Amino acid sequence: MLPLEYDRSEDRDIIVRDRFDGFRREYLRTLVNPEVIEEHRQSALGQHSEKLERLLIYFRQRPLEQRYAVRAIEPFRRYQVVRLSGRRGVPPRLVDGAIYTSANDARHGLFLRCIRDLLET
Amino acid sequence: MAQIKIFGYADKISVKPGDTIQFHVSADGTSTAEAHLVRLIHGDEHPHGPGFIEEEIDCVANGTWQVEKQFTQVGSFLEVTDPDRKLALDGSITLCAFIWPTWPDVGHRQCLLGRWDNDRNHGYGLGINPSGRLEFWVGCGNEVDYLQAELPLQKQAWYFVAATFDARSGRATLHQEGVVNRYNSLLGKVAPVEYRSHVSEMFRFRQNNLPDTPFLVAGSRDWHALRGHFVSQLYCGKVDRCGVFDRALARAELDAIRAGGKPPSDGMVAYWDTTKGYTDRGIGDLVVDIGPNRLDARGYNRPVRAQTGYNWNGRNDCFRLAPDQYGGIEFHADAMIDSNWKATKTLELPETLRSGAYAMRVRGGDGAGLAEEYIVFFVRPRMPTARIALLFSTATYLAYANERFATDGQIVQPMAGQPPTISEVDIEIYENPEFGAGCYDTHADGAGVCYTSYRRPMVNMRPKYRIAAFDLPWNFPADLSILAWLEHKGYDYDVLTDEDVHLEGVAAMAPYACILNSTHPEYHSERMLDAHEDYIAGGGRFICMGANSFCCNVAFREDEPWIMECRKTGGHWIAWAARSGEYYLATTGQMGGIWTGFQRWGQKLVGNTFAGEGFAHSQPYRRMPDSYDPALAWITEGIEGETIGDFGLGNGGAAGIEIDCYKLGFGTPPNTKIIASSGGHPDNYIAHDEEGAHAHQGFSGTHNYILRADMVYFEAPNNGAVFATGSIAFGSALPIHGFENNVSRLLSNVVDAFVRPGPLPGSSNRPRENTGRLEPVGP
Repeated sequence: MLPLEYDRSEDRDIIVRDRFDGFRREYLRTLVNPEVIEEHRQSALGQHSEKLERLLIYFRQRPLEQRYAVRAIEPFRRYQVVRLSGRRGVPPRLVDGAIYTSANDARHGLFLRCIRDLLET
Repeated sequence: MAQIKIFGYADKISVKPGDTIQFHVSADGTSTAEAHLVRLIHGDEHPHGPGFIEEEIDCVANGTWQVEKQFTQVGSFLEVTDPDRKLALDGSITLCAFIWPTWPDVGHRQCLLGRWDNDRNHGYGLGINPSGRLEFWVGCGNEVDYLQAELPLQKQAWYFVAATFDARSGRATLHQEGVVNRYNSLLGKVAPVEYRSHVSEMFRFRQNNLPDTPFLVAGSRDWHALRGHFVSQLYCGKVDRCGVFDRALARAELDAIRAGGKPPSDGMVAYWDTTKGYTDRGIGDLVVDIGPNRLDARGYNRPVRAQTGYNWNGRNDCFRLAPDQYGGIEFHADAMIDSNWKATKTLELPETLRSGAYAMRVRGGDGAGLAEEYIVFFVRPRMPTARIALLFSTATYLAYANERFATDGQIVQPMAGQPPTISEVDIEIYENPEFGAGCYDTHADGAGVCYTSYRRPMVNMRPKYRIAAFDLPWNFPADLSILAWLEHKGYDYDVLTDEDVHLEGVAAMAPYACILNSTHPEYHSERMLDAHEDYIAGGGRFICMGANSFCCNVAFREDEPWIMECRKTGGHWIAWAARSGEYYLATTGQMGGIWTGFQRWGQKLVGNTFAGEGFAHSQPYRRMPDSYDPALAWITEGIEGETIGDFGLGNGGAAGIEIDCYKLGFGTPPNTKIIASSGGHPDNYIAHDEEGAHAHQGFSGTHNYILRADMVYFEAPNNGAVFATGSIAFGSALPIHGFENNVSRLLSNVVDAFVRPGPLPGSSNRPRENTGRLEPVGP
């Protein structure tokens, strides 16, 4: 963290949030492994292992503009992954052209994006 | 070619054969649409169920309708009735008000009060300019002169603001003073914030008033080539007492008003005392002018009253105790309670129409996606004939109307245990504030939405709709699974709505031996709750089909049942929280929030109520020992094994989504039996705080036995009885395997017993101690 980066920020809470987030991400990165990803692929909803549950809770708590959603093009048939705008009235935007044939497949595609974001930033 | 979009609503939600109903339709991209009356039977398209089922009904309105784009006035404001143009002041003037802006830095002009034509630049106004500063302006058509304060307004701080203009000298003066006390604003006096600004300037000309410009509070008149006159420059925030004088008041006079003194009568043209008109039972939309001309103002899109004013001192939490401290009227630029569209078609309903859930299906072009609308309404019989009624939770539908929490709610994904699944229509309403919001949303300025109405399109009160946050049919479309079950089983039934029960009380329910309600009967006015209690205590047999039952207290005006007021307070499972001192319903004077706050827990009425919610995964019930009591064996007759409902369209189980539990300490009648219960729900099911004063680890599903759906049964006085499922997912389990499953069998057992005249099965065998503790009811 650059100590002076936030000097112009009015809301100092953001600085604390970001620092907490940094610690949290550092730990969460250690939880990512093939078993966790396979567990999610097999069961996107419901009770999960503690590792996967921690990752999912984090992804669901991101600021709105950093969250993804599933877009139902045709319910039960075709889905895509979108990213929320976090700005009222501004629609979500597509993140790629991938089409999923079930909501759970799309949720897993979304999960993999979250994992990638976690590992790459 | 433009995309075809069709949206509509009806003027009534509950009708009888022969009644007249009006349909209001707006269309983009087409001038014609094909309309057909349909009876709705099943609304969930899940492939494991029967799919969407409708029945086309002959009626004279079927056919091609001429449709057009219709516009909606969004935003709340006051319009003054001024037929003699007393406020068309061309000379000296003073405008003054107490204000509490919620979004001064929104970035566009907000008009606080004035007689201003925003299109033609005529008149005068006091407002907030795009840089968030107080501003006074006058216009003569060609030009506008402005005077702005030196510093921006603070949000959620009470100010006294005024503008004076001496027409002889041309001097305009702005007065801005904070009136912040220890309670009334966001910040206290330890914050080194400057509120004061006094500036003065010579204007080059005098204002020129157009004859038909209305005097508005919280907006100004505008014009558009297609829609004609409308109101823009909408203000977000509260206004307390405000007035207009035909002379420039002196600084000392303004200071006296700021200090709470009586405004001077000399030169007073109008002075709206926003504290006038309160009664013990609330307040309406009329804002009283105590000046010489009686220029009362009327609210449009229901400005929020019963709000704390500039002089609220924290001692009283309700306008009934200190109306003079409740002068705050709150405005929102995105408030909307009536689309006010022209009627597209008026229909006298056929006398032969059977009771049911109906819709006018309106399709433009190929009818795909947004080109198809279902305008839903409910038809009661002219005279009740069936022994069974299905009660649709129209108050709950209103509460959730057009909710946008999948896209705006920070809490929704952790609650739902999943990312949202957003459809085309969700995006459409997200982009267009013209649809208005529901009581789960906040206004763009951050305040909770406390008014909702069905006189606008309600895209989630449609068949086939799936709520984005949970990827489930929610409320009405889920409730159709109960209706489809009644159809499949061949029961003779009528339908009722919450509106009928609110307007008619127990008389609406009394004709029926057995009433089933909906998957999510959450919202009830006091009259509705009383009617349920009297129905059951009077010998009615009631099946509470859902969960989160009888939790929230709402209110309707007698003459406008299409608008519902909801204030969120109490519990930590609410979408927003009413501000301090603003818990009471302006409609009735009763405290809003949850019925728990009144010792009217849902358990007291139907044996169980809200344990918690989690949405993403459902569980089966397991039979409990009471189900093997020989006196109660009729409930589970024909059911093999311990497990009930390990299937369903609502996430694979009959127990889940939101779940209710038995609790003697919350008034579950002591003779209540638990027939079956779920448990072990995932950890995104969290118990709500009525279950414990402090949130702590172990509140969640796998740690906490309270997180369960209890299927309960008890006998009530006069051969009445209640069976409650305790689960929203229960109804969605009914259609599995062609409606032939153990959930369906169990419900049939209960309905069959409940409709049969005479004592309930097994009641003569009841052990005496089960009912011996009950107090006698009635004379």
